[in-house]
Amino acid sequence: MAHLSESSNNDDINMNNLHIEDKKNDVRRSSVLDEGTLRENESESKHEQRLDALKNAYGIMLNSVGEDAMRQGLLKTPERAAKAMLFFTKGYEQSVRDVVSDAIFDEECDNMVVVKDIDIYSLCEHHLIPFFGKVSVGYLPNKRVIGLSKIARIVEIFSRRLQVQERLTQQIAQAIEEAVQPLGVGVIVECVHMCMVMRGAEKVNSRTTTSAMLGNFRHNAKTREEFLIIGRNSSF
Amino acid sequence: MTSQSTDIVFIDSTTSRECHLFEFTSKLRTIMKVNQDLPHDSVNLTVRSVKSCTCSNHDNGDSDRTTNAPRKYSVLDEKALREDDTKLVRDQRVQTMSRSYEIILESIGEDPTRQGLLKTPKRAAEALVFFTKGYEQSIREIVSDAIFDEDCENMVVVKEIDMYSLCEHHMVPFFGKVSVGYLPNKRVLGLSKIARIVEVFSRRLQVQERLTRQIAEAIAEAIKPRGVAVIVECLHMCMIMRGAQKVNSRTTTSAMLGVFREDPKSREEFLSLGRINPF
Repeated sequence: MAHLSESSNNDDINMNNLHIEDKKNDVRRSSVLDEGTLRENESESKHEQRLDALKNAYGIMLNSVGEDAMRQGLLKTPERAAKAMLFFTKGYEQSVRDVVSDAIFDEECDNMVVVKDIDIYSLCEHHLIPFFGKVSVGYLPNKRVIGLSKIARIVEIFSRRLQVQERLTQQIAQAIEEAVQPLGVGVIVECVHMCMVMRGAEKVNSRTTTSAMLGNFRHNAKTREEFLIIGRNSSF
Repeated sequence: MTSQSTDIVFIDSTTSRECHLFEFTSKLRTIMKVNQDLPHDSVNLTVRSVKSCTCSNHDNGDSDRTTNAPRKYSVLDEKALREDDTKLVRDQRVQTMSRSYEIILESIGEDPTRQGLLKTPKRAAEALVFFTKGYEQSIREIVSDAIFDEDCENMVVVKEIDMYSLCEHHMVPFFGKVSVGYLPNKRVLGLSKIARIVEVFSRRLQVQERLTRQIAEAIAEAIKPRGVAVIVECLHMCMIMRGAQKVNSRTTTSAMLGVFREDPKSREEFLSLGRINPF
């Protein structure tokens, strides 16, 4: 990975020392671009099997809740809920490489590119309850740029899964870094977690913000600051 | 059943195995319980047969209702689906639901044995029981000790009550705010009881229209005011996260009873006092 061989800012004197230190501390992460997906390229019949299993599970759940699964409003609920659950986890069906591969362009741009206020909806893997919010993604291109909507698609792939907000943020940043090899990537995710609002602590106005700063964004405070100002999510 | 000379309305709850015979006379009302096995065809109380009904002397405050209408089921006395749950029954529910969630995790392609998902079935089951805890309480026991005699004749509005519910069609949350207003008729209701009524009805598998109506009817029955108005404005995750995927769209439903239905000025006053601000 091209970790900052050049710096876009002259203020950092000890850049090289920082790189070496950082590389030692970097955890060896597996590539997200080529990560095998759990449900890629599945046949119709396999999809049907999944649907049926989900339908049965939801039917049992309706009865356990105490409701009457035969009443008019609930008759088709297992089927609808099953399809909804498969939709909420459709991120398992696509790999990042398929999504981005044809939208990487050579461009002489060396200023920050920020795509902000991307809506995301995900499922918390601990309670299977939605969490949603906004993502801002910024990167410093190194002679290559990525199609803007591909950034949003990358966000979609990773968010439409059972997720933990920290991991989601990390995966988005890593995917952009691997796809385009920029000078640095920054990702900020700000979400409201229904598992915290509707139950448990029941804190209605609380939001959780996580970030992932790679490369220049991590080592260079000014770059990071620029991203934090330009990429500030609007309130929702 | 028996046929008596007085008017009888036969109402059965198909979720419970009792039928209540309500016998209306001009002076007294007696309730006889008869145990009987009945087929389940719907959750809500339904009127099975009506001989005739005179409710004119009934102390129902809604004098503008047609007196020949059959006595509707009582929201206050509707039996809560899980009211009789013992701890053992509750634990069994959680266990069955956990097993269902495990199947769900496998069916979507995930690995239920990885660290983050190990305890997820249990957590998700407990969460679902919490989201449907409205089935465990009956309205009467919530409101009965907070009805006060008060000489208030002006509108009382409790607005922007946060509300979280589950859509019964997709089992996905919908949430928003509720504004409730009523015109007292010598009796007022404890303010937090209004919020509790909203909680009991919203913590169920719901349809927004029904939720709105139930809140209004509960208040109407509890204190028999001159009128009740309820507005519910919600975001439906089933519409935002999937399907039409319309991110900014909200659904508003309302229920106007009594004076609020008849008199446009009262309705207007409520709509301006109880206005739900964007959230």
